[in-house]
Amino acid sequence: MAAPFTLRKIGVPPNSANLTEARRRVFDYFRAACRSIPTIMDIYNLQDVVAPSQLRFAISAQIRKNAHVTDPKVIDLLLFKGMEELTDIVDHAKQRHHIIGQYVVGEGLVQNTGSKDQGKSDFLKNFYTSNYF
Amino acid sequence: MGVGILASRAIRPASRLLRSQTSNLSLRTIVSKPELQSPEAAAASQPAEPPKNQILPPRNPVGGARVHFANPEDAIEVFVDGYAVKVPKGFTVLQACEVAGVDIPRFCYHSRLSIAGNCRMCLVEVEKSPKPVASCAMPALPGMKIKTDTPIAKKAREGVMEFLLMNHPLDCPICDQGGECDLQDQSMAFGSDRGRFTEMKRSVVDKNLGPLVKTVMTRCIQCTRCVRFASEVAGVQDLGMLGRGSGEEIGTYVEKLMTSELSGNVIDICPVGALTSKPFAFKARNWELKGTETIDVSDAVGSNIRVDSRGPEVMRIIPRLNEDINEEWISDKTRFSYDGLKRQRLSDPMIRDSDGRFKAVSWRDALAVVGDIIHQVKSDEIVGIAGQLSDAESMMVLKDFVNRMGSDNVWCEGTAVGVDADLRYSYLMNTSISGLENADLFLLVGTQPRVEAAMVNARICKTVRASNAKVAYIGPPADFNYDCKHLGTGPDTLKEIAEGRHPFCSALKNAKNPAIIVGAGLFNRTDKDAILSTVESIAQANNVVRPDWNGLNYLLLYAAQAAALDLGLIQQSAKALESAKFVYLMGADDVDVDKIPKDAFVVYQGHHGDKAVYRANVILPASAFTEKEGTYENTEGFTQQTVPAVPTVGDARDDWKIVRALSEVSGVNLPYNSIEGVRSRIKSVAPNLVHTDEREPAAFGPSLKPECKETMSTTPFKPVVENFYMTNAITRASKIMAQCSAVLLKK
Repeated sequence: MAAPFTLRKIGVPPNSANLTEARRRVFDYFRAACRSIPTIMDIYNLQDVVAPSQLRFAISAQIRKNAHVTDPKVIDLLLFKGMEELTDIVDHAKQRHHIIGQYVVGEGLVQNTGSKDQGKSDFLKNFYTSNYF
Repeated sequence: MGVGILASRAIRPASRLLRSQTSNLSLRTIVSKPELQSPEAAAASQPAEPPKNQILPPRNPVGGARVHFANPEDAIEVFVDGYAVKVPKGFTVLQACEVAGVDIPRFCYHSRLSIAGNCRMCLVEVEKSPKPVASCAMPALPGMKIKTDTPIAKKAREGVMEFLLMNHPLDCPICDQGGECDLQDQSMAFGSDRGRFTEMKRSVVDKNLGPLVKTVMTRCIQCTRCVRFASEVAGVQDLGMLGRGSGEEIGTYVEKLMTSELSGNVIDICPVGALTSKPFAFKARNWELKGTETIDVSDAVGSNIRVDSRGPEVMRIIPRLNEDINEEWISDKTRFSYDGLKRQRLSDPMIRDSDGRFKAVSWRDALAVVGDIIHQVKSDEIVGIAGQLSDAESMMVLKDFVNRMGSDNVWCEGTAVGVDADLRYSYLMNTSISGLENADLFLLVGTQPRVEAAMVNARICKTVRASNAKVAYIGPPADFNYDCKHLGTGPDTLKEIAEGRHPFCSALKNAKNPAIIVGAGLFNRTDKDAILSTVESIAQANNVVRPDWNGLNYLLLYAAQAAALDLGLIQQSAKALESAKFVYLMGADDVDVDKIPKDAFVVYQGHHGDKAVYRANVILPASAFTEKEGTYENTEGFTQQTVPAVPTVGDARDDWKIVRALSEVSGVNLPYNSIEGVRSRIKSVAPNLVHTDEREPAAFGPSLKPECKETMSTTPFKPVVENFYMTNAITRASKIMAQCSAVLLKK
């Protein structure tokens, strides 16, 4: 398939010389991830659940979480982990509920837009979840 | 080096090569020295005692106990291991050592029972005494020098241990007492490491004492603690020692079961595994159990218990020490009804369908349905009834909710119309339970304390035994485990005593501290006001209520009653239930279900599917007393809190949380949403319920009550508790209680 081929091409070499090179690698990784989004949606049947833009948002949010890092070696390691995760997803090593739970925006996407919970207090929301709060 | 080592050298290989290798190895023969053979030689070889003026470290009494000096000028000074202690005059040597912080091993001595002195494990050396003395029986004399850690005392303990273990079966792996066995602990601490017994051990046939106490009499060490307990504390003369010497057996001489309501306490008292708990047999070892210290709610006494649980399951219930309420005992109902917590539990909210069957729904739907219906009903057709096991927090929230819906009809089970909670003395035990020990005359009116509050009965029994107090009883024929004069069966006898015509009046006048105990079952009678005012006139005439002694007591039946009356949950109108359209039963199972109209909408919130569930339209599952943190007030006004020991079952919630959620769904805004908020609300209503572990006595006496003009009817008093073993939802669901009521009740 084309997607794993693209991924194999963009491995993460061990060392970036400086911050600029690390940034370049981050953007390359983001591009590869976004390009593999159609494959992911096809593998896990996410056509009715999410839009590709939401997945792109999720990926960029994860990258932005580490935007404060300045050490190129740390960036390399984070990229390595990100690459590992992306390879797992594209290789169908994960399952649908993993993707939905980890990357679909919002915990409990379906419930958040429901009208039942809008006007309720914290007490009632906690009460419906469990006895211990 | 003695001759022994030289002799053993001859046994060893004489080769030089081997000797150099084996000289440090374990090839050593056992050598005994003269000092090890006899205690006197060992004592002679010990260094001299430390000089007298050496400052010894301060010692605290065993267990942090406090010593009560009845006459401070009568204190004696004794020396325990060189340490001087002051003890009151009648103390025994063992008690003096306890004050000095030395815990002497014992099997037959128990601080609440009479002294037997037959196990001989408590032997200590006393100077100027030819043989070691049994410290539990020897009174401490002034200037006595007691030594507990000398070789003589240690040798004595080893010897006694050896004798006890001679005929004791090797049952540790299959004995329930393993891990908490006095014999195991004391043999590890004080016994010798080897025995010399090579003959056959004796065995004893097991006795059948009922479905509660399992007996393996081979393990019995004949300490007679159970015999003394049964005859002194429980007041029944069931057990005895038969035979002599090594053929001694403890048992009932005839084939009799232990029917006393305190029979489970012999399980705690027995130091070995001879008497164990039959429902708990082979279920768990004591080290895998987590103990939670909480309160019992099966009656109004509030005995302190420790709930032993393993994971989500309650395995057994053990008493805790509380000198004021239950000392160290609990009744059989408290101890053995825990298996009812596993049966018939409500775990999901349910709504009754149109075809009459219940369907499990989610909390959202259930609360939405109830919230809808409650708005379609007029405000004075709403009725809320709290059950006998409800805690103060849930009753407060229920009362607030029902009041804010516009209705005044919220009450607790057991309080009939007309019971007013204005003056606290009229529903509390004003002499506290421990204060009953100072009474010398008891008048029991319409109450059978043996089945209503077993610990109060134990206290009366203790007083009767200790100070020869007299007990008189008015009510239906009942059995008592102490001498009791049956004066009559109904209000007529009361009237006679009030008017001075009864022969009992003279005894009442001559008593120094008379105590009158009125049962709460009388609150349900129509002529209740007349009866209670008669009782109060008797109290006035005989100086029962004085500044220093208040002998007028009311014995409540249910754990929730005192707190309910303090919070103001009283029944205002008699017709409230008959004209109700919305009935909220919070664990109320003793409500007469036939009185609820056929078209009323009934919501049942509770933890067991007991009687009232069958009439309910909506079921809301709540948590039981072992699963929630609730405040309970006992019949003497002592506030205590239960602690959750196990998690809730299924989808159940705490009672007060359900009512609070329901109020929010119904649009009523209660100003609190946490347990601290509920407690601060309780503080503004009844502040004594917030001060846990404190007793709040009633502030005013009977002098404030207005005169009563009604007349008494002549119907005799009826027994309140028909079946001691089945009084609340948990006990009715319990298999052990069912066995007990089938086998142990007198027919």
